[in-house]
Amino acid sequence: MEEKRRQKRVLILAVRAGEIMMKAGAEIYRVEDTIERICKACGMDYVDVFAMPTGIFITVDKGFEEDDTYTYIRRIRSSETDLNKISRVNDFSRTFTTTDMTVEEGMDELDEIEKEKKYPITVRLLCASIAAACFSVLFGGNAMDFIIAFLIGSVCYAFSRILSHAGVNFFIHGLCCCAMAAFFALIAATSIPGAHYGMIIAGCLMLFVPGVAITNSIRDFLSGDMVSGLGRMAEAFLTAVSLAAGAGIVIKLWDMIGGITL
Amino acid sequence: MMNLLLQFVLALFATLGFSVIFRVPVKKIPACILIGALGWVTYEIAVFYMQSPVFGCFAGACIVGMLSSICARFLKEASTVFIVPGILCLVPGYKIYSTMEALLLHNYGNTASIGIETLMMAGAIAIGLLVMGVAVGLVRMAFRKIRSF
Repeated sequence: MEEKRRQKRVLILAVRAGEIMMKAGAEIYRVEDTIERICKACGMDYVDVFAMPTGIFITVDKGFEEDDTYTYIRRIRSSETDLNKISRVNDFSRTFTTTDMTVEEGMDELDEIEKEKKYPITVRLLCASIAAACFSVLFGGNAMDFIIAFLIGSVCYAFSRILSHAGVNFFIHGLCCCAMAAFFALIAATSIPGAHYGMIIAGCLMLFVPGVAITNSIRDFLSGDMVSGLGRMAEAFLTAVSLAAGAGIVIKLWDMIGGITL
Repeated sequence: MMNLLLQFVLALFATLGFSVIFRVPVKKIPACILIGALGWVTYEIAVFYMQSPVFGCFAGACIVGMLSSICARFLKEASTVFIVPGILCLVPGYKIYSTMEALLLHNYGNTASIGIETLMMAGAIAIGLLVMGVAVGLVRMAFRKIRSF
C-alpha cells in the first residue's frame, strides 16, 4: 500500500515538472526527457511519456508481477514563455536524479519554481520599448522614429499584458496589439515631421513576432515530434498573419477616412 | 564599418529587451545578447556580400545555433535559453509588414514576391537551426566515440 502511494507521488511530481516546462515553452524532447529521468530515478523501470503542447500523457510501472500500471493525463491550456522556469526545472531534474532528494522535497522545490515572479512590470515595459525602438532603427528609421517607437512600444506591450490577463485568444491578441501600434504610429507620423510610420509599426510588430514558436517547431521536428512541430509551425504562421492583418486593417481604415491630423 | 558597429549595439539592446521579456536568468543575459547581436551582424555581412536576405538569415541562424550550443555546453544551461532571444532579431518582421503594405496597395506582384521572400527567410532560419542541430549532435557523438577509445 505504502509502495503504491509512493508510486503515485512520483507520478505527480514528474507530471508537474513536465507541466511547468511545457507551459514555459520548452521543446517536447526536453519535457519527455525530464519526466523520464525523474521517474527512472525513483525506480520506475517502465516509463512511457507522450507530450504535446496541449497535453502530457505518462504511464509508469515498476515492472513486477504484482505491480499496477499507473497512467496520468494532464491537459495544458495556457502557456507563456519563461526561460528561467525551463532552466530551473532543468537544474532541478539534474539534482533530483543525482542526489538522494526525496519526493516531498522535490514537490516543495517545484512549488517554489512555479510561484516565481517575472521581472517587475516596469522593467519589462522599459525593455520592450527599447527593443521596439532599436528595431525601428535597424529597419532603417531615424532618431525621431527611435523616440516614437520607444513610446508606442511601451504602450503596446502594456496593452498586450492586459489582453493576456483577460485570456484573449492569440490571434485576436496579435491583431489588437498591432492595430494599436499602427494607429498610434499613423497619428505620430502625420503630426510629427520626419517620422516614418512603416519603420515604427515594424519595430513594434517585432515585439509580438512568433520567435518562440518558430524555434520550438524546428527543434520538435529535429527530434522527430512531427505533430507538435506542425502545430507550432501553424501557430507561428497564424500569429504572423494576425500581426499583418491588425496593422493592415488600421492603415486601410485610416486611408478611407482620409487621416486625422492633430 | 561605423554603421555596422551601430547596428551591433542596436541589436545588442534589442536582444536585451527580448531577454527580459522572456525572462532569461540574469546571469545568462550577457551571453544571450552577445549571441543575438552577433547573429544580426552576420546577417548584415552576409546580405552585404551575397545580396540575399535569405542567405543572410541562414548564416545568422547558423551562428546563433552554433554559439548557443557552445554556451549551453559551457554554462550548463538548456540551449533554448540562448536560441529563443538570439533568433528573434532575424525574424523578418519588416518583410511581414512590407508584404501587408503591398497587399493593401493592390500590388499583387510585389505581394507575391515579398511574401515568398518572407516565407523563405523564415524557412532559412529553420534550416540554419536544423543544420546546426544535426552538426552539434554529430560533433557530440564524435567526442563520445573519441573518449570511449
